[in-house]
Amino acid sequence: MATTLPGGRPAPRRGGSYWGRLRGRRVLGTVAVYAALIVLAALFLLPFYVMVRSALMTNRQITAFEWLWLPNPPQWDNLRELLDESDILIGLRNSAGIAIIQVVCQTLFAAMAGYALARIPVRGRDLVFFGLLTTLMIPSAVTFVPTYAVVSWLGGVGTLWGIIVPGLFNVFATFLFRQFYLDFPVEIEEAGRLDGAGYFRTFFGLALPNSYGIMAALGALSFIGSWNAFLWPLVIGGQDAKTVQVVLSSFLTAQTIDLAQLFMAAVVGAAPLVIIFLVLQRYIVEGVKLSGIKG
Amino acid sequence: MATTTLPARAARRSAAARRRDRSATFAFWVLMSPMVVGLLLFTVIPIVWGLLLSFTDARSQITVGDWIGFENYQWVLGQQEFLRSLRTILVFTVFIVPLTFAVSLGLALLVDRAGWGRGIFRTAFFIPTAISYVVASLVWKLGLFNSLPYGVANLGLSNFGIDPIVWIGPGDIPWYWVVLVTVRLWLQVGFYMIIFIAGLQEIPKDLYESAFVDGGRPGWTTFRTITLPLLRNTSIAVIVLSLINAFQAFDEFYNVLGGGSFASGGNLSLARPPLVWLYQTAFGGQEYGRGSAGAFILTALIIAVTLIQGRVLGFGRSSAEK
Amino acid sequence: MAKQQQAPIIGDPRLAGWRRHPLDRRAFIRTLTFAAGAVYAGSRQAQGTVAQGTTTLTQWYHQYGEAGTEDAVRRYAQEYTEANPNVEVEVNWTVGDYPTILNTALVGGQAPDLFESSPNLDWVRNGLIAPLDDLIPEDIRADFNPRELATNTIEGQLYGVKIVVDTGGIYYRPSYLEQAGLQPPTNVDELIAAATALTDGPVKGLFLGNDGGISSMQQIMPWAAGSDFITADNQVVFDNPATILAYEKLRELNQTDALLVGAPTDWFQPDSLIQGLVAMQWGGLWAMPQVTEELEDDFGFIAFPPLAGASGGPAQPTPATFLGGWSQLVNAKSPNLDAAKAYAKYLWVDNTEAQRDFNLSYGFHVPPRISVAQAAEPLQSGPPAEAVNILNQYGRSLSPLWTGAMGAALGDAVTRIVREGADATAEVTAAAETTRQELQRLLG
Repeated sequence: MATTLPGGRPAPRRGGSYWGRLRGRRVLGTVAVYAALIVLAALFLLPFYVMVRSALMTNRQITAFEWLWLPNPPQWDNLRELLDESDILIGLRNSAGIAIIQVVCQTLFAAMAGYALARIPVRGRDLVFFGLLTTLMIPSAVTFVPTYAVVSWLGGVGTLWGIIVPGLFNVFATFLFRQFYLDFPVEIEEAGRLDGAGYFRTFFGLALPNSYGIMAALGALSFIGSWNAFLWPLVIGGQDAKTVQVVLSSFLTAQTIDLAQLFMAAVVGAAPLVIIFLVLQRYIVEGVKLSGIKG
Repeated sequence: MATTTLPARAARRSAAARRRDRSATFAFWVLMSPMVVGLLLFTVIPIVWGLLLSFTDARSQITVGDWIGFENYQWVLGQQEFLRSLRTILVFTVFIVPLTFAVSLGLALLVDRAGWGRGIFRTAFFIPTAISYVVASLVWKLGLFNSLPYGVANLGLSNFGIDPIVWIGPGDIPWYWVVLVTVRLWLQVGFYMIIFIAGLQEIPKDLYESAFVDGGRPGWTTFRTITLPLLRNTSIAVIVLSLINAFQAFDEFYNVLGGGSFASGGNLSLARPPLVWLYQTAFGGQEYGRGSAGAFILTALIIAVTLIQGRVLGFGRSSAEK
Repeated sequence: MAKQQQAPIIGDPRLAGWRRHPLDRRAFIRTLTFAAGAVYAGSRQAQGTVAQGTTTLTQWYHQYGEAGTEDAVRRYAQEYTEANPNVEVEVNWTVGDYPTILNTALVGGQAPDLFESSPNLDWVRNGLIAPLDDLIPEDIRADFNPRELATNTIEGQLYGVKIVVDTGGIYYRPSYLEQAGLQPPTNVDELIAAATALTDGPVKGLFLGNDGGISSMQQIMPWAAGSDFITADNQVVFDNPATILAYEKLRELNQTDALLVGAPTDWFQPDSLIQGLVAMQWGGLWAMPQVTEELEDDFGFIAFPPLAGASGGPAQPTPATFLGGWSQLVNAKSPNLDAAKAYAKYLWVDNTEAQRDFNLSYGFHVPPRISVAQAAEPLQSGPPAEAVNILNQYGRSLSPLWTGAMGAALGDAVTRIVREGADATAEVTAAAETTRQELQRLLG
């Protein structure tokens, strides 16, 4: 479709369409786009490569002044040593438990609150909503110590639930659920209502089952946040409930740094989430899109 | 009979309405209860407590009551290093927000134009989102930007005959900004790229076509006249989110610059954002009253910046458009 | 109408346009089921059962770097339980930012029964730590170094029992010095000259920490200049020409190309010296076994040299080092206060074998009891003996009244002097003024 005059000059505008015009430049453009993409992708994947490469090397190879592309031979003993001698497995188990409970409860509580705020007309509802939004403004540093005091007063220090429970109440997710349920087709809900279903049946039987998409999306995001949380689990969990991030940081603070072990720990600590990420990518992408919605 | 029906019916109806109101109220609060109770316990009480602490002479304790008025606020505002931390975060924000915007939009445009392999590239840029600041800081500090000659960046530079650079340390050139900015970019641009891709896909394709007919040249012109204006809402979302996140930066400063085991250690004094300063004051110095005061000053600033930004970018208007 | 009034079900076509995020419901439920299973498996925590009538004490340590230390303290605890079956000790080996974790636990009312730290006045005033005078009977008290007792004494009462005594100095590689035709430096100017002469490409002359010595030298260099910080009678005395000169020398050192910065480990770890990144390193006595193992005879140990030519301080220039370490503190609010104190007394006062083992078998520390230290075979000769000698002659500590706020004020001042070329006189004067205000506030 691209019409090019013999002289190689582009056809007059009227002759070509936008897409035709675009295609005229396409070969060069495509090459440039792919070249850029490949270079950038390599840059973005470089840290992963450095991580895995260093994890499978000896310390001597890591600190060598000549660059080695591949560990030769791969030091799988680094992995065995890590699993045998550190708490990383305990950390992985704790983190998995924490993340899963947080994801399920956080999403459920946010959906319940979001639905109530969107669909149940009650006096003072806007006030409640506004109150929730204000809490979003406060940086967590403000409340860190008092929250610790509350949790310790409830007996949560050194326990898994002490790490989990304060993270179950996500106002931002509530806000997104509210937006979502505001768009819920009214006539369907009314049909359900006339059928005699109360608010609870409408919510649990109708609204919630139709919210899997947003739930999975927000849940996937909250899984990442939960898995990667650091300061709170460090201070609350201590020795008795170490998460994987806490175990990882202990490699950084140990007085003698074993670089190979440290990178292996980083790989083992990051791998589960990378795998989950690849499997659930679709939901996560949806979650990110949702989180970009603003009010 | 006929005369009594009307008021009677009205009464009946209002009784039903009241019953419905009651059941609505009941349902509302039951559904809200986990959120409300949780926030009361773990957010509202701590906020109030923190506010009271900020007016208390609370050292090595968090009992409220030894009132000293605004002394803590005065002290914080008189601290050179606190004011400097505000400047630090401002500099950081000035770098990180436009860079995040440009890089994530650039990646989105590139990925959007790719046909074959689009999913692979998208994944490559997006997957760092899964990595924690602890892990990324560790890889950046001890792998990529290790200051010794065997650090990856230094090895790369040595190919060009450049001497090893001390990336994280007290040198004349603040190379540590390269480390701090790149680690955050790597971790977050994939996230914003996805938002941009979503925005791009909502732009109707025929707009480009009609612009072309009207004389717009593909490329920069259409990008400026069509793509950017139609990405307005998305752009605002990206700027607001990345700005709020930048203002609350803590993890990479703490893990990259920190000495590891102690709040005061390492090179934290090179570049201290407000949260690190607060952390050191409250936990390192055990000055919980002063720490709380500083935290509330910071909160006020965040709210102010958000509001001003809302004005400038037309925050409220844009959401109504959609 | 009526027939259509049944509640819509999932997949109802009326919902099609509304569901913006269509997903496979089965996949979602499968994920949930998997998640629930994992939660069940993951959240179950092993709960130790406690026998009737047993007291369980919790005891926190910071993470010592030397291999074997964690096992050692757990072993001591177990030995104690074997001898006293009704007391169990739960050891918590704390990784990460120990002071923060401990402080948070203390203010949150969740402090362990026993913990490592150093006492301070606020903790005493807030009733957080218990007086321990009765743990050291008169006859044994004479066996503790009075200076060590002093660092744990606040308002006349003892609040801590030393676990380990630490000190530091400059490690150097004689082979490197020989090659350059140098002797170990005897004053700061010689140190600067030696560091410069020993710098050769990637190998640097001196390592004082990755911040260029701003934290490690903050007290050491003023002490070497004959200055001090807070005196025994609570006077702030560091605003004098000696302190000012000390920080100016630190700046001078930082302006040479001779300091190593950006090493993977900091000054309290010996790796930079061992790996040959530097010729001289400021380091702790604790690292000496590791240094000996790696470098064998090729290292020496000296105190930080005097800052010759300094004047105006309360004393004359002198070689300098710190008298540091960790002390056992007991939580005053512990429900098992007596049991906790009994264990502290057993472990660090009576049990000289544990003291010997913990101070000497892993890293090197000086056992707090004089008799144990004198009998310590590893400390009798060579560099370890030299280090003990330096400690006894020159070791100093900060006043227990020195607080975090004072440290922050001074640290920020030193940072500005060294990094930004700020006027040392003005900075030191201002920091001293802040310190006086803070002291006033503290003693209030």
